[in-house]
Amino acid sequence: MEHSKQTQYTSNEKTDSGDSGSVLNGHFDGMVKRPAGGTGRAAAPQPPGAESGSHRPAASVMESWREERTRSVEDNEMSLPSLAAAYTTILRGLGEDPQRQGLLKTPWRAATAMQFFTKGYQEKIIDVLNDAIFDEDHDEMVIVKDIDMFSMCEHHLVPIFGRVHIGYLPNKRVLGLSKLARIVEIYSRRLQVQERLTKQIAVAITEALQPTGVGVVIEATHMCMVMRGVQKMNSKTVTSTMLGVFREDPKTRDEFLTLIRS
Amino acid sequence: MNGHCNGKVSDTVESFHCSSGLGDLIIDTGKSAVHRKNETSRKEAEDQSRLPVLEVAYATILRELGEDTDRQGLLRTPLRAAKAMQFLTKGYHETVDDVLNNAIFDEDHDEMVIVKDIDMFSLCEHHLVPFFGKVHIGYIPNKKVVGLSKLARIVEVFSRRLQVQERLTKQIATGIAEALQPKGVAVVIEAAHMCMVMRGVQKMNSRTVTSTMLGVYLEDPKTREEFLTLSQHA
Repeated sequence: MEHSKQTQYTSNEKTDSGDSGSVLNGHFDGMVKRPAGGTGRAAAPQPPGAESGSHRPAASVMESWREERTRSVEDNEMSLPSLAAAYTTILRGLGEDPQRQGLLKTPWRAATAMQFFTKGYQEKIIDVLNDAIFDEDHDEMVIVKDIDMFSMCEHHLVPIFGRVHIGYLPNKRVLGLSKLARIVEIYSRRLQVQERLTKQIAVAITEALQPTGVGVVIEATHMCMVMRGVQKMNSKTVTSTMLGVFREDPKTRDEFLTLIRS
Repeated sequence: MNGHCNGKVSDTVESFHCSSGLGDLIIDTGKSAVHRKNETSRKEAEDQSRLPVLEVAYATILRELGEDTDRQGLLRTPLRAAKAMQFLTKGYHETVDDVLNNAIFDEDHDEMVIVKDIDMFSLCEHHLVPFFGKVHIGYIPNKKVVGLSKLARIVEVFSRRLQVQERLTKQIATGIAEALQPKGVAVVIEAAHMCMVMRGVQKMNSRTVTSTMLGVYLEDPKTREEFLTLSQHA
């Protein structure tokens, strides 16, 4: 059953034009439009044990902010023994002795840590927003900058960390400020690619508020480049997503970029 | 395994390891640190053959975290993650003797030598999460000086392992002391621990500082002060 779900999921991928990402991680091709009649599929009851992690909502990526949860706290507890066993194998495979004092409980700690680093899979945007959307007659730029962000590189499973700067132009509706940071947390605490993370944050804000425009800039250090591989200590990667009036009007974009720099 | 000997050798553990074909990877913990100094706990040539086991483990981890291992971004992640982890623990291949490469020279110099701001990257042995920072090393030669880059290489040997910052500091200091027999060695490490920053208590700006002072650095406060002053200033 699990296999057929994955086959179905893969064929969905192929029909999307240029969309090579995972439905799970809400990968977009940059258009903020809802396709008519999203292919919502009712969430199947989660079977207990290790299989639960493989279920994916096949709902269109555009509805990602409604139907995102793929993991529950119970799933976490069920997965812990297999995760710990995998980490024990890794310790042995690296030439360490899992029985020495410092490493005795490491498989469990590492498993719990990894679950924490991917806790974004447990949360839904709609829960986090908590109805903190208010009607305000405000149409000037709102910026929340220097939001510390920690993510995991999906290619090497090594941390990425940096700062996120978010700006938006409300269209009569404003969002509680901490909710912007919470949206960052949901999407960053996953196995990510910085480009996709930036876009997901921008699209989530757009879908929640329908503002006149949204701008998101992320500046991050990738440990996979710093600790290994090319080993460039001081390199930073900057990505940005501009939607709405931030994209169309250079002056607005300029104002945003200047304000986050100061 | 990491120069840490808890002295206990469980027979059942040993026999399990041997029977599972991993026996040659584990050094008998009953051996003293003297023997272990000249041995590596992992042979570089074996890394390639260990990859499949690590890959399977990482694939399991991805699945258990709720990810879809067939999506494009994750297809080769188990392999990449396994190789990355092997790189990050490559210190197990190396010994101080290997990296020193006989770069020890007789110089009539007995003033302090400091190499500071050596970037260090290691893995927390408790959470398998990186910690990184800077190492400052100072020593007072006793007629023998060491090539400067070798100090940084000694840092690499010990930091590219599953570590605890206290032990790392001490291992670097003792490694240098044993190789050179200098009048004194001082090592200071200042690092950020991702296990504290990214999770748990989540304090972004916290730094952990550890130091080891040997020989004249331990006995003479003025010498220690000189080292600390010179290594802290920009």
